[in-house]
Order: sequence, then C-alpha cells, then structure tokens
Amino acid sequence: MISFFFKTFLVFGLLLGATVSAQEAQKEKLQGMIDATLDVIYSDTHARLPAKEKQAKVREKLESSYDLDVMIRYAIGKNWRRMSEGEQLEVLELVKQLVLKAYVIGLEGKDRPSVSLGEVTETGKSRIEIESTMVLDTKTYYILYRLRQMESGWQIYDIVAENVSVSSNYRGQIDDHFRKGSGADLIARLEDLLAKDEINEDTKI
Amino acid sequence: MKTQKFKRPLTWASLIGLLAATSLTAQVQNLTGDEDFYIEDVDESTDVYDPFESVNRFTFKFNDFVLSNTFQPLTDVYTAITPDPVEKGASNFFHNLGYPVRLASNLLQCRFEGAWVETGRFAINSTVGIVGVFTPADVYECFAPIKSEDVGQVFGAWGIGEGPYLILPFLGPSNLRDLAGFFGDRALSPLNEPLGVIDDWKWEWQFALSGTGYTARSPQIIERYKKLKGSSIDPYSSLKNGYTQYRRGAVAE
Repeated sequence: MISFFFKTFLVFGLLLGATVSAQEAQKEKLQGMIDATLDVIYSDTHARLPAKEKQAKVREKLESSYDLDVMIRYAIGKNWRRMSEGEQLEVLELVKQLVLKAYVIGLEGKDRPSVSLGEVTETGKSRIEIESTMVLDTKTYYILYRLRQMESGWQIYDIVAENVSVSSNYRGQIDDHFRKGSGADLIARLEDLLAKDEINEDTKI
Repeated sequence: MKTQKFKRPLTWASLIGLLAATSLTAQVQNLTGDEDFYIEDVDESTDVYDPFESVNRFTFKFNDFVLSNTFQPLTDVYTAITPDPVEKGASNFFHNLGYPVRLASNLLQCRFEGAWVETGRFAINSTVGIVGVFTPADVYECFAPIKSEDVGQVFGAWGIGEGPYLILPFLGPSNLRDLAGFFGDRALSPLNEPLGVIDDWKWEWQFALSGTGYTARSPQIIERYKKLKGSSIDPYSSLKNGYTQYRRGAVAE
C-alpha cells in the first residue's frame, strides 16, 4: 500500500516537474526575445539604420519567437467579425507597424534598459503570467507578460505595464471606434497615424 | 498470485493512460478554443462610467490645443536651456515637497511601512540631498523609491466609488473621486492653505511656485502624452482607459 502511494506521488511529482520546467522554458524564451530585440535597438551596427529598417529588424526578432497576430486579434476582440477578410489582414499589418514604431522610437535615445524576469504564475488553463522589472533611466517599471498556449504554441496575448493592459487599452479604443465607424475608417485612421510624425525622434517613454 | 502480478501493471497503465487522456483532452479543448479566446472579455475590465462624454471630448480637444500650442513650446524651451541634471534636480525638489501628501495618504490607508519609507526618504533627501534636489536615499535599499500615494487613492481604498469620468480643463483626466482627492492633496500641501509653511504668502509667489513646479514636471507629462497620442486609434478613449486602469491598479495595490 505504501509502495502504491509512493509511486503515485512519484508520477504526480514528475508531471508537476514537467509543468514547472515547461513554464521555466517559456521564461527563458521570453528573456531571449527581449535581449535579442534590445540588441537590435542598441547595437552599434544598427545605430545608423533608418527608423523603418530598424523596426523591420526588431520585427524579425519578435516574430521568430512569437506570433504578433495573437495579441492584435485579442485586442480587436469581437470587432474582428465586423471587417471583411481583406480589411482584417490590412488592420493586422497596420497595427503591427504602429506598435513596433511606438516600441522602437520610445526606447531610442535612452540608455539600454535592464530587464529581469521574475516569477512565473499559472493563471488558468493553458495560461501563465511572467513578471518582469525594467530599469530605464534609473526608474523601475513593473511589466507583466501574459501568455497562452495556442495552436501555434505559447504566445504573448497581453502586456501589462504599470497596471495598464495594452490589450485592454486597444480593445477599449477599437470598441469605441466600431460604435460609429467601420473597418475602412479604422484602416484610414491607422494609415494616417503611421504617416504622421506624432511619435518622432524626440518622443521618449 | 499471478493475477495480482498482472493487475499491478494494469493499474499503472490505467493511471498513466488516464492522466495522458486528461492532458490530451485539455490540449484538444485548447486547440479548438483559439477563436473563442479572441472574443472573450479582456482580463482588465474596461467599463468606465462616462455620462459626460461629449463635454469631456470637447475639454480633451481644448487641453490638447493648450498643451500643443502653449505648454509644449514652453517645455521645449525649458528642456533646451536647462541641463539635464538641473531639470532632474528641479523635478526632485518638487517631488520632495509633496511628502506631507504622501505621508498622510499612507497613514490614512494604514500603510505604515510606506509612511516610514517616505519619512526616511524625506529626511535623507532634504538634508544630505540639499532640500531634495538630489536623492541620496536611493542608495539605501530600505529607503528605495516606492509608488506615490495620494488622497484619491485613500478614498478608493476606503471603498468610495470612482463616480463619472471627467476631463478637467488644464489638468487632464480624472473622475469625481479623484477630483475630491485633488482638493485633499492641495489642502495637505505645505505650499497651500491651511498647512502653508510660509507666512505672508502672496498669491503671486504661490502662482510662480506652482508654475515652476508644473514646468519642472511637464517634460515627462508631455512626452507621455505625445507617445499616447501617436500610438492611439482614439486618443480620448486611450487616455480614459489608461487612466482608469492605472488608478484602479493603484487603489488595488
């Protein structure tokens, strides 16, 4: 009888160990992606690259680890169905460009931030949260990465910076937009934003 | 005996099979759930009570105009002529002056550790840090910077609701509770009555000091605002959502 309990305990222990090690693997993957993108932004070889080329290189690094569509689809929510297939693809691409532009330009002109990942918490079925702290210009920011296991593997679906969820913020804006506007209007607005120089070289976080 | 020997591997096979099946079922449910996942509610609720939206949107545009045409040029000049260390020192000085507000807000929420850290930082920065221009307290782990508390957060911690969302002229996003908190902050400030620390405090001096304080903090505010505006589909909606999430998070902490 004791042997039975011992073996059962062992099986569950092994399964738990496998889960914990899978979560740690996600942490390592995330840290790798963050380091790789910061390397692109802050490396001497890329220092003189035009903004768009630098953004393309950062995008390459991000997309080699994660599917950015997941986070954008999550932010769009049910409004996705209000757009035609062509509009859906265009919105995905434009939002991706906008987010990358804000990310790269927001960090430029500053010292390289140091990012360290903390605890991994299982928040639900196939969902985890990874805590992180970013020290930028002597200030510490708390950032939470939310991941979910999708068909394509573990993907980031939300980033919460200082209590503000990026997905929730965009979901709110897109919900408000679709109360009066259409998919075509959204595309026009996104194109307008990308063409404008509101986020210029002087804009910092 | 033979049957017993046979049964054990069967038991183990069943147990492992059951676990594998459970795991597989979970995986399959997950794989078929991607589309459902995209349309589910986001973790942070975005419902904001905004009955004055049309007035708020008008005030938002007014503030945007004032910020872009008045404060931004002033801030550009300020940042251009002020060396970075001076800019930082001025910002530190005004932050240090806000100590009574942060102390009272911590105490009113029974956050005694926060009150202790704020007091330690104030004592060190006001003396060694020359009236708060420098922040030598940062080097002590026990007095590392903590998140600022204010009277609006106190009201939130006491269970008072947010009330309607508001955009205040010149001041930006708020809600009824935080507006009341704003007056509480002003009442606790050593620069204002009734706790004013300087006798014969003329309004011209008050105005000048408040203006300088705003100017010292404005580069950060304007940079954040420009970033929000540049990456938002609807800047009004983005600010409303961002402000509400931030404040709810601050109250919940």
